[in-house]
Amino acid sequence: MHLDEYREAGLAGTFSRQTVISLLIFVVVWEVLSHFAPALGIPAFAIPSFVRIGRSLMTITPLDVTVTVARVIGALILSFVLGLCLAMAMYRSESLESYLHPMIRLFMAVPVVSWILFAVLWFRGVEFRIAFVLIAVCGPVFLVDSLDAMRGVSRELRGMMRSFRPTTLQYFTKLMFPAILPNLITSWKINLSLAIRVVTIAELVGAVTGIGHQLAVAQELFSVADVFAWTLVLVALLFLLEAVVVRVEQRVLRWRA
Amino acid sequence: MNDPPPIEVRQLRKVFRQTTSGQSVVAIERLDLRIAPREVVAIVGQTGCGKSTFFDLMIGLERPTEGSIVIGGRTPYGDFDHFRGQMATVFQQDRLLPWRSALDNVQLPLELIGVAEEVRRERSLSWLERLGLASFANAYPRELSGGMRQRVAIARAFVLQPAILLADEAFGHLDEVTAAELRETFLGLARECGSTAILITHQLEEAIGVGDRIIVLGKSAKLLADIDVEGWNKRDHAILREAIQATLQSNEQDSRLAGR
Repeated sequence: MHLDEYREAGLAGTFSRQTVISLLIFVVVWEVLSHFAPALGIPAFAIPSFVRIGRSLMTITPLDVTVTVARVIGALILSFVLGLCLAMAMYRSESLESYLHPMIRLFMAVPVVSWILFAVLWFRGVEFRIAFVLIAVCGPVFLVDSLDAMRGVSRELRGMMRSFRPTTLQYFTKLMFPAILPNLITSWKINLSLAIRVVTIAELVGAVTGIGHQLAVAQELFSVADVFAWTLVLVALLFLLEAVVVRVEQRVLRWRA
Repeated sequence: MNDPPPIEVRQLRKVFRQTTSGQSVVAIERLDLRIAPREVVAIVGQTGCGKSTFFDLMIGLERPTEGSIVIGGRTPYGDFDHFRGQMATVFQQDRLLPWRSALDNVQLPLELIGVAEEVRRERSLSWLERLGLASFANAYPRELSGGMRQRVAIARAFVLQPAILLADEAFGHLDEVTAAELRETFLGLARECGSTAILITHQLEEAIGVGDRIIVLGKSAKLLADIDVEGWNKRDHAILREAIQATLQSNEQDSRLAGR
């Protein structure tokens, strides 16, 4: 099986034989280690058995999962709208681009932890802090990707469109958006995994709800089983959201098939 | 459609500044022309003579450095929006939007001028039918051959029933049989719609076969000849072809000597 086929199979939510085998090997090795941990001098709680992890999974609170998903999706939609609008403005105005471009590069170089600290120091509301961090991290990715994609739209198509004299809105809705849609979907895929990781860290530091907060609680209780269970939920969430994006991609980009 | 307005090109000059060297390149040097309503004009010249620049100036994508193009008292660059829905173009490549079906591509110009969905669908389908593509209305451009795609592009231009039609080497990349067939279709439709048609080409056969009038351009769009084809008997087209060829060759030699 080719590398791309593995990726496609994974993203489409189907598992190849090799994937199932490698997951089974991991489960068996973990389970064996969990039984022999005390004999090896490792504390029993450090490598819990899958029965224990299963029990932790049963205690997963849907509210925390929902809150995290809502934060991720809400912030991503805001980042997308902001990024795209700024990209459009920068595409239209070279002088605006020359002022904003260095700032965007600076924003992209700031580590996530610094954004979290700024958010904690600057803002009071938890939701506002988390949204700020997610937008600061994901917004520039949408912006840069959209702007690059707009510039990549062929000169021929731009000339053809302009020859029919569209309004600015028509130019973007009839030509630019459909033309850059494949790039926008790729940006969504990148930002989804980025946002899931960032939201977890942000919740870990300053929230009282969400998966990140539950991870912090599990850490305080020295419960590796709980950490494992919440991490599994996070990974499953990411796969699920990616699968949704892939479905959308297959639907809206069927002209490429 | 009302009578298309006359086109007047007055002392048209276009100079480009090269970004790397900063040198100026004169693409068009003081061109004067007058094109009457409903006339079918072929503009012929060798590669690099400024034909495509003239095309961009005509559709208003470029601003003249000096002089003007005046269509019915207005300029395509200055009064850009005024010509919405009045001008249509067929390019060398089909330039179809790959994410739209053939039908949706034809509908595009009508969408831009705000024609109601049902009307534009009906009109677009009828144009596709006239161009023999009714059964391919829902096909994406990648599913069509080069000739079929160019037909869709022609339908997209005619669906507007524009006052002015411009074609830039529109048939040059197709095989001879398809090109001849499409040229014929294009010409017939242009006459039927009563549009003023300007065809830019480097092929003499095409220019002689299509135009009521042939404008021969030399380097920097220097007007070398303005020929009324209708005044020539069809049997003498070979002589006409040789005369134009000789004019172009002599201009090429003069340019080379001037460049030494």
